[in-house]
Amino acid sequence: MGGNLQTSSEGAVHPEIRLEGVSLVYEAGGSQVLALDDLHCRFAAGRVTAIIGPSGCGKSTMLQITRGFMPASRGTLSFVGPDGQPMPRPPRMATVWQSFNLFPWRTIEDNVAFGLEMAGMPAAQRRVRAHEALRMVDLGGFERKYPGQLSGGMRQRVGMARALVMDPEVLLLDEPFGALDAQTRLVLQEQLAAMVERTGKTVLLITHSIEEAVLLADTVYVLTARPGRVAAEVQIDLPKPRSIASTHDARYAGYFERIYGLLKSEVLRSMHGEAGGQA
Amino acid sequence: MRDRTPEGDVALRPVRTGTAPADRITGWIAVAVFLLAWELLCRALDVSSLYLPRPTQVAVALYDLFVHKQALSDLAVTLYRIFGGFAIGMVFGVALGLAMAVSRRLQSIADVFIAALYPLPKITLIPLLIIWLGTGGPFMLTISALGALFPVIINTLLGVRQCDPGLVMTARDLGASERQIVRHVLLPAAIPSVFAGARLGLGVSIILVVAAEMVVGKLGLGARLYLAGQVLETETVFAVLVVLAALGIAVTKALDAVDALTGKWRA
Ligand SMILES: Nc1ncnc2c1ncn2[C@@H]1O[C@H](COP(=O)(O)OP(=O)(O)O)[C@@H](O)[C@H]1O
Ligand SMILES: [Mg+2]
Repeated sequence: MGGNLQTSSEGAVHPEIRLEGVSLVYEAGGSQVLALDDLHCRFAAGRVTAIIGPSGCGKSTMLQITRGFMPASRGTLSFVGPDGQPMPRPPRMATVWQSFNLFPWRTIEDNVAFGLEMAGMPAAQRRVRAHEALRMVDLGGFERKYPGQLSGGMRQRVGMARALVMDPEVLLLDEPFGALDAQTRLVLQEQLAAMVERTGKTVLLITHSIEEAVLLADTVYVLTARPGRVAAEVQIDLPKPRSIASTHDARYAGYFERIYGLLKSEVLRSMHGEAGGQA
Repeated sequence: MRDRTPEGDVALRPVRTGTAPADRITGWIAVAVFLLAWELLCRALDVSSLYLPRPTQVAVALYDLFVHKQALSDLAVTLYRIFGGFAIGMVFGVALGLAMAVSRRLQSIADVFIAALYPLPKITLIPLLIIWLGTGGPFMLTISALGALFPVIINTLLGVRQCDPGLVMTARDLGASERQIVRHVLLPAAIPSVFAGARLGLGVSIILVVAAEMVVGKLGLGARLYLAGQVLETETVFAVLVVLAALGIAVTKALDAVDALTGKWRA
């Protein structure tokens, strides 16, 4: 099997990402919404960091700031290299989306090759790379199909192949399995865990599944209801590689309950906030 | 292997979808009955062919038109005007629609003009265009292009606006430049809508070209129609109408075929 998906290419730097005092205000129709409030986070180099929080607390906003799509209203975003210095260039990043976001008019191989095509790679070369990436996610033989002909789980595997073929130094996942059924999700979580373990990329995983956070992450940040602040940072010390069997580890239940307790109060708070209006 | 029903080995009856051959035959039989009734009633009531010629007379006129009166060159001229103008309208319409969808400033400028020009029946522009351009080829192509332009602009704009913003963000994430986003995301996303606009636009182009030919009265099917009407050659009027109807059907079928081709990913 191909090289660049197994291990990152030469010269790849897996940075530590730092958000320091990041706030974000959305301005929509004259009114202002504080989405993130004085956020401090570190996403360790080559590790998986999970972000979990009630819906609408600003998780996707945080991902977009990290990706550089949106400047923070206050605070700084920095990428720190292995030498402890800020990177001279922004790292290569790629995102996997909850709603897959495949281009419906492109074949599967042309979806996977999209980024390579934009970068000007010749057609023959990018086809080889796309096919290799598709085999990695067990989708060999589906190259000429269209997204509309695939199931949800298959589409998200295409989404993963499309991000991984770019050989990103930072992989961003925004609730990647949120739209999938429970069984498909378990299988993809295991595959993702194995892939991340092999490549040593810096991974930011946004999720609303506690199980997913504990199974995949080294560090879990629990966010408060809007405006998003860090409610707690939980280090997950479970042996790797992890699988569904890890849920039987005695420590698993402890992590799960700890995060659940934090989340529950935040979810209740956000529900009261909605019910009580602007009280 | 055939499925077995509880009653035993009964033939499976597939569910019919779309138009089955039997339905089409029924349709053709109805047409034949209609033509026959028309023919017989005209004969029985002795209707003057000045008012309503019989189908057989129309058929003779149609034959005459193409074999003795060089109607083929009129058909060619009309087709050239329709499709030449339509092509110009498409190119400008898609380009303007895309540009408006991408540039907010351009859109606010163009919005005003479109709001003013869109509701205006384009047919009313014929006298003005004749003053400016005369009655020759440029006039015909312009009026045809104007017919296609507005539906294409508006549908291109709508198509781009309806593009999932998630796809634009995805393309940006994968390193696409703004230009590449227009070319590889916004344009393909708008294709089905552009196509709907082209369908509308082509219809308007046909109407405008035929109407303009009737006004100018020199060349083309519209001119034939008008001149035949002037000298009360009612069979010829009907014959030209038959040709125009056939043209309409052919265009619709051709568009359906292209639609099926571009829509193969909509599985
Ligand atoms: N473009 C926007 N304009 C205005 N408000 C927004 C915008 N995007 C998100 N928001 C608001 O900011 C908050 C955080 O959104 P988001 O980051 O998508 O939350 P999450 O991903 O955690 O569900 C939500 O309350 C949402 O309504
Ligand atoms: Mg979100």
